[in-house]
Amino acid sequence: MKRRAVALWLAFLALAILVASRVQIGADLSAFLPQSPTPAQELLTEQLRNGVVSRLILLGIEDGTPEAQALTSKRLAQQLRNDRSFAMVNNGEESALAKDSTFLLENRYLLSPAVTPEHFAANALHDALENSLQLLGSPAGVLLKRLIPRDPSGEMLALLDETAGENRPATQDGVWMSRDSKRALLLVQTSAPGFDIDAQEQAVARIRKHFAAATGSPELSGQRLLLSGPGVFAVEARNNIKNVALYFSLFTALLVSLLLWLVYRSGRVLALSLLPVASGALAGVAAVSLGYGVVYGVTLGFGITLIGEAVDYAIYFFTRLGRENSPDTALDTIWPTLRLGVLTTVCGFSPMFLAGFPGLAQLGLFSVTGIIVAVLVTRWVLPVLTPANFSTMPPALLSGWLMRLIGQASRLRLLVLVAMVAAIISMALHRGPLWSDTLSSLSPVPATDLQLDEALRRDLGAPDVRYLVIVRGQNRETALEHAEAVGAQLDRLIRNNPSDSASPLPCRERARERVEVQQLDCAPSSLFSRDTNQPPLTGYDTPARYLPSEKTQRARLAALPDAKTLRANLQQALAGLPFRDDLFEPFISDVAATRNRPPLTQADLRGTSLGLQVESLLVQRDSGWTALLPLRGVTDAGLIRQTLAQPADTGVVLLDLKQESDTLYQSYVREAVLLAAGGALAIVLLLFISLRSPRRVVLVLAPLAAAVIVTTAVVLASGQQLLLFHLVGLLLAVAVGSNYSLFFEREAFRRDHFVTCPGRAAFYREDDSSVRAECLAQPGISKHEGRDDARERTMVSLLVANLATIIGFGMLTFSGVPILTAIGSTVALGAFLSLLFSAVMMGNKVAA
Amino acid sequence: MRIAALLVLCLLTGSPAAAEQKAAAWGINELMHSLAQVKESKATFIERKHLSLLKTPLEFSGTLAYTAPSYLEKITLRPKPESLVLDHDKLVIRTGAAQQRRTLTLQDYPAVWAFVESIRATLAGDLESLNRFYLVSLEGKPKQWLLLLRPRDPNMKSLVTEIRISGSAAQLNSIEIRETGGDYSVMQISKDDS
Repeated sequence: MKRRAVALWLAFLALAILVASRVQIGADLSAFLPQSPTPAQELLTEQLRNGVVSRLILLGIEDGTPEAQALTSKRLAQQLRNDRSFAMVNNGEESALAKDSTFLLENRYLLSPAVTPEHFAANALHDALENSLQLLGSPAGVLLKRLIPRDPSGEMLALLDETAGENRPATQDGVWMSRDSKRALLLVQTSAPGFDIDAQEQAVARIRKHFAAATGSPELSGQRLLLSGPGVFAVEARNNIKNVALYFSLFTALLVSLLLWLVYRSGRVLALSLLPVASGALAGVAAVSLGYGVVYGVTLGFGITLIGEAVDYAIYFFTRLGRENSPDTALDTIWPTLRLGVLTTVCGFSPMFLAGFPGLAQLGLFSVTGIIVAVLVTRWVLPVLTPANFSTMPPALLSGWLMRLIGQASRLRLLVLVAMVAAIISMALHRGPLWSDTLSSLSPVPATDLQLDEALRRDLGAPDVRYLVIVRGQNRETALEHAEAVGAQLDRLIRNNPSDSASPLPCRERARERVEVQQLDCAPSSLFSRDTNQPPLTGYDTPARYLPSEKTQRARLAALPDAKTLRANLQQALAGLPFRDDLFEPFISDVAATRNRPPLTQADLRGTSLGLQVESLLVQRDSGWTALLPLRGVTDAGLIRQTLAQPADTGVVLLDLKQESDTLYQSYVREAVLLAAGGALAIVLLLFISLRSPRRVVLVLAPLAAAVIVTTAVVLASGQQLLLFHLVGLLLAVAVGSNYSLFFEREAFRRDHFVTCPGRAAFYREDDSSVRAECLAQPGISKHEGRDDARERTMVSLLVANLATIIGFGMLTFSGVPILTAIGSTVALGAFLSLLFSAVMMGNKVAA
Repeated sequence: MRIAALLVLCLLTGSPAAAEQKAAAWGINELMHSLAQVKESKATFIERKHLSLLKTPLEFSGTLAYTAPSYLEKITLRPKPESLVLDHDKLVIRTGAAQQRRTLTLQDYPAVWAFVESIRATLAGDLESLNRFYLVSLEGKPKQWLLLLRPRDPNMKSLVTEIRISGSAAQLNSIEIRETGGDYSVMQISKDDS
């Protein structure tokens, strides 16, 4: 029977190791994305995992002179451009944009929205030529004089103007540089999607390698590379959590071992104590791996916390090994209480399985599996592995001191009551939201990294995309056509006249001339003119800008006149203008050449950064094609949504990434609170069924409830907002603390006591103290004799277990990973208070 | 925006000034020192652009105003109204009948900054700023001097070979910009005594 238990355990371990060794570790935000998303959430998920934004890496080069930083930037960009891991590299160098400019110039008549049949009539050309003349006279003429013979109608300028709304970083020495010249800036887009963390890790490593090579020469040494972006964060978070999981679990194990050594002075106890922990952690990883296919780094980091809890079981076991208890029987008497403690924990965590958010569900599965396995190993494997005559002797000094302390703990009742009241009042008066309400609060990224990211984004004017218009089509062409229709609506909004282009003189045109007129005339007449100077958005990107739909392109081709007509129109238009004869031959031949061309396809854009933009904004899905139109400078999302919704059936969606993700997070919080409440209810029911006495249930639960309330108040008072993980921490604190209060309750109301006297051991009933009196009456009896050895051992084991828990979770507070810090501090404090309050409430009975 | 920013080149004009100065051991430092004494000035200008694209040169005229150390405005009246106002590192451009207005920050447009400083730093007698963008040399005497500015920046160099600013004492008389490829413009400045 015993051998079978060990054999079963070994087989189980082998299996768990096999499963756990093939585990895939995930670290991106997808741990926090829903399993059954709404369509908007699906788009959000897609963007976070694979979107343009998820592929961006922001680079800063610091600690050099501006000149040296610029040189490094150029060299680094050169190397990165030759590296296929990167789809796009931009450091502000003009030469890098040459390909784009060439593309725009050669295809200007297919791309320019101005191309209509009237555009090339004599009078329109005359106006365009007059414009060109003015530009030539202006300082811009220095640049434009080379362009004007090819493009007198100004198509190229119009195309360049369309991108003008974008924020551009400052330039110094030919490259992007922050305004204070402290750092050179680069923007890189990886070829690999953001969720592929292995690929992102390689990309980061390659950037560092290229940087080392670029700064190899002595005059460039000493410069520092800063990296940021979603992929970089994911890589760092994974490494961070891996490191924390590894080093912190080693360190915690070491500290707990030291504690056990101090108490038991036995290497064997040490080694054996860790068996339940290790088995439980392995089983947890294996279970999650089987259940979900991937283990999130967060879950793995959570594994350490199991040390703090599972080691308790071994401590209960070993502390009971004395003269009276052999390994086989040590747990027999306390087993009902221990089993109830474990069941309480399981009840607390089981509802987490139901969470729609995989991160939470994994935590639930991991904890429950780990705890069950750990307690089973303690109950049936440890006794077999422990020699039959093995016993531990808790230091008499410690147990004497502890019992005295417990006996006096009830003096603190008033203090605890005051603390409770203060906690409740401070929570009731708490200003600001209790719960942190953004999805990013779940991010495992430390605040300093987020600050760096923000600084780099500000310097770079990098897209911080919040609003996206999503347009669908059955194929690429229809998606583009729909994108063009939405673009036209957005253009009208930008011009602040969304009603209709039919209105010949928009309100704003008049308003420009006389502000008073606008206020009197326009404001009441139009819904949209209430804030004429601030359009609801300032700009947008669209794939149709550089890849118009075929329909649009064909219309533009048809608008181009033949060479003969164009020549005649031009002749007429030139009348009275000082341009040299034959100056515009390049214009006539360019138009003629374009007329013979087929429309542009996506392939024509290859090799330009414009092509990359189109590629990232026009994506194929199983159900068709989707065009994404990121919006800039949005001030009135409601108006945009309302405008886009007007042709009702188009399936155009305005997605607010921030709002969508925050809503998602809030739904998690609601769900987690609900599930935790469910867990609490299950615990109460379980206790009622097991203890069969309302009074006992209240005694067990009261210290836990008090601990939860005070802990929550302390977290809030320390200026933190509650995270989802504080809730998980509280749950875990209740799970651990329930063991303490259950044991206290058991000891306080146990009727049969066990007394040791020199030469004999005896049971006595509480109401019959004659045995004890008789024992104490013997001459020469020491202070320690005649007391309830088993009870003292239980109390010592609670103290040691509590210390182990505080060490385990307390260590996490220093991990630097925000969510682990949240869990660690909550559990350490909550568990300590659970024990303290148990002693305060029941200590006088226990130590009587 | 980039294109509009280049409108700033219009600022390549000067304004007159006057100050007492001595002839002994006269050099660039002395010229800069006497220019720096001028705190305010107004002038009118006529600018002619000779372009290979055109059969006849273009002609513009208008007014200039300068207040030490960093305010400069150029108002073109003919043939079409246009204004450029520079104040510290902000440049405001108004063009056309529609009164389109654009504001630029100089640091964002290094080429524009270089053009702007050629004239403003000369007016302010700020040799350090001139040296930052140009190789500076001086010919002539206090009564009739010629300041030669050759761009340092490669981008600027590909557009402009040389800026020639002539003057007498602490007053600017003309600014000539020689572009690569043979085009050039000359701005004649006459002091506005009113």
